[in-house]
Amino acid sequence: MDPVRRIMKETQRLLSEPSPGISAKPDETNFRYFHVIIEGPYQSPYEGGVFHLELFVPDEYPMVPPKARFLTKIYHPNIDKVGRICLNILKKQWVPTLQIRTLLISIQALLAAPNPEDPLDPQVAKHWKENEPEALKTAREWTLKYAIDN
Amino acid sequence: MTQFVVPRNFKLLEELETGEKGTTGDVSYGLESTEDITLSSWNGTILGPDRTVHQGRLYSLKIYCDENYPQKPPAVRFYTKINMSCVNSDGTINIAKFSMLGKGWKSEYSIQRVLEALHAEMTSSENKGLRQPPEGDTYY
Repeated sequence: MDPVRRIMKETQRLLSEPSPGISAKPDETNFRYFHVIIEGPYQSPYEGGVFHLELFVPDEYPMVPPKARFLTKIYHPNIDKVGRICLNILKKQWVPTLQIRTLLISIQALLAAPNPEDPLDPQVAKHWKENEPEALKTAREWTLKYAIDN
Repeated sequence: MTQFVVPRNFKLLEELETGEKGTTGDVSYGLESTEDITLSSWNGTILGPDRTVHQGRLYSLKIYCDENYPQKPPAVRFYTKINMSCVNSDGTINIAKFSMLGKGWKSEYSIQRVLEALHAEMTSSENKGLRQPPEGDTYY
């Protein structure tokens, strides 16, 4: 399928059948650029938080994965301070049969299950490995501070 | 519908990655703060070119990419004092003399391209012999 057509089709489905806790809307001026919202998963330190992300579908898609990053500050060992995400399918594990939706679901799952063994932010990962309860507490505080609209 | 524009943030993320991997040679750059989620304020350095008065000197610069980048050029100023034909007395760049940051700007340019162009400018006949302020002086 022609890549542009494929993006259109994926967009349509993202809008008509959104995955629970995930919203992705294309930008009005650039159909490859998406404004994404992921709700913090239940029973995670991110619960109740509303996390804004941006996603961009490059020219070579689907041979290469979309690019995504957090715009909301988040305390997580696999997400760095400028919002970049360390996730296998954003890199080498990407295959063209995956979709924008699968990627967003994987990011949501990463919030539910942080992986300090494969860190992007070494300091946060160290915190996680040495004192998980305290790291979870910090993550919770950041959620309250940055991801909850008052 | 087939227009293809890389949004500002994703262009800057690419630039950040290139800068982190380490540019070869005479220029380097990175975010001023690793927590700057807006990707706006950058530090740059230029190593003074050989066979000029700048040889062996390291110049620090401040680069600011506002929300209109890369459609509009970044704001660039030297932090380390330099005597150069296209640099104003406060360290800002005179875009009438360095048109890459003015009329000559193209959206495919990058922070690295700007730093490399300034590096090249240091070797021009106009600049390579100019008397320089004491090494390490800064504008503020």
